[in-house]
Amino acid sequence: MKNIKIWLKYSINSAQQALSNRAAFALFTVGKTIRILMFLFFLVFLFSGTKNLAGYSKDQIIFFYLSFNLIDTLSQLFFREVYRFRDLLITGNFDLVLTKPVNPLIRVLLGGFDIFDLPIAFFILIAVIYYGSLNLHPSLINWLLYFLLIFNGLIIATAFNIFVLGLGIISTSVDHLVMVYRDLSSMLRIPADLYIEPVRFLLTFAIPLGVMITFPPKALMGILSVQMILISYLLSFISLALGIKFWGYCLKHYQSTGS
Amino acid sequence: MLSKFFIIFNASLQNEFTYRLNFILWRFRNVLRLLMTYFLWRGIFVNSPQVFGYDQSQILTYILLTLIVVSIVLSSPSGERIGEEIANGDLSNYLVKPLNYLRYWFIRDVASKILNLSFNILELSLLFLWLRPIVNLPNNLISIFGFVYAISIAVGIYFLLNASLRFFAFWSPENIWSIAFLTFVFLETLSGAVFPLDILPKTVQIGLQFTPFPYLIYYPIAIFLGKIQGLEIIRILIQSTIWLFLIFRFAQFIWKKGLKTYGAYGK
Repeated sequence: MKNIKIWLKYSINSAQQALSNRAAFALFTVGKTIRILMFLFFLVFLFSGTKNLAGYSKDQIIFFYLSFNLIDTLSQLFFREVYRFRDLLITGNFDLVLTKPVNPLIRVLLGGFDIFDLPIAFFILIAVIYYGSLNLHPSLINWLLYFLLIFNGLIIATAFNIFVLGLGIISTSVDHLVMVYRDLSSMLRIPADLYIEPVRFLLTFAIPLGVMITFPPKALMGILSVQMILISYLLSFISLALGIKFWGYCLKHYQSTGS
Repeated sequence: MLSKFFIIFNASLQNEFTYRLNFILWRFRNVLRLLMTYFLWRGIFVNSPQVFGYDQSQILTYILLTLIVVSIVLSSPSGERIGEEIANGDLSNYLVKPLNYLRYWFIRDVASKILNLSFNILELSLLFLWLRPIVNLPNNLISIFGFVYAISIAVGIYFLLNASLRFFAFWSPENIWSIAFLTFVFLETLSGAVFPLDILPKTVQIGLQFTPFPYLIYYPIAIFLGKIQGLEIIRILIQSTIWLFLIFRFAQFIWKKGLKTYGAYGK
């Protein structure tokens, strides 16, 4: 409860700070919307040249893409502070975070709620519900499984971001690490099934990004077995546990070398 | 004069190697991006022998060339730093030195491009040995010369375009990243870095010629692949040169105006 209150406080502060620059808010929202629409346009256009992709219809591929954007945007909405962690390390300001009676992981992981992503996340959520209901006709159970797996995806995203933060403590190389994670996840703007082996296996299980991004739409379409759903939850909790363990290990080795 | 810029060049190279893990991750990302696009298109071609009039070898050649062209044209550390230096007042350090600020950053960009390209060639060679893709290469000198000229112009256009945008930090330092982000969104798609632009409807292609974006990636590659031939090459090269000239004048104009308002805030 205490941590939720602290997170809310951080989020309100962060939102107030971000909203003081309304022009940047508008430009960012327009830019991000155009980026999403442009790839969507490419996908639609792709289907004018081919009937299906890896057995998926146009509607299914578009739904995969919308789901990717939902998870990606939600993860940026909550974990934007990770992108600023390097600054804290190299300036030595992370020492100040450690002296406060607050869990430092909450501060560096969730301390920068990105209000800029909020309207985009909201519009994508509407698009997901509208497009999914209209074109894929899922049952209520499928919708429930979909949102449960989206939540599961966010647990995996949390684990990834904790892992990046830990490596940041050891190496101070946060920027590229975050971008490697973003690059890898953006491979799943389209279903992992489109990639040939061994890429498909690696993306789905070795790095559980496939579980994080492609499992929710598969559950909605009714093409994901119960075993896979259970495996996905198992994978996410293992990832989160390992992430937290790794963070603890890295924190013990923090040398406060920032100036 | 030359030695001054050679020192900058040398210092830039040393700087790139200082943070080794960052450097390794940067290279890893480059390879990852290539593999990402490569496997995506391989997957698409499993069901269809032809997509948008391209067969598999043509599209794979386009992708591999994109990696090389992107590393030459879009590798540009100056982008972020110029806006930052204007915003935090670090620009003052340069203004008091006998140094042309734009030329200084251009040399640093060239150092980064050479480094990027050298590693790209190495990485591509390894990937070639692993993936053994069938690629189409040009068989005439005009395409090769046209490609080299188009690339040189593209380097200039990108550098000046990027710098001009960052010069807006003179007036609105807090909005620089959002302006740059918006431009990058357009650049990413409309330059041809994601897909060849000739898959778009004809009218869109004509419209794009009135923007600087396709001259950065798409046209150099299209010339190299022989998609554009004869007088069409000359027309495209003239158009790109005009764009370079226009953006150069624009950059100069903004720089001069900006310097008049520069208050060295932050220092």
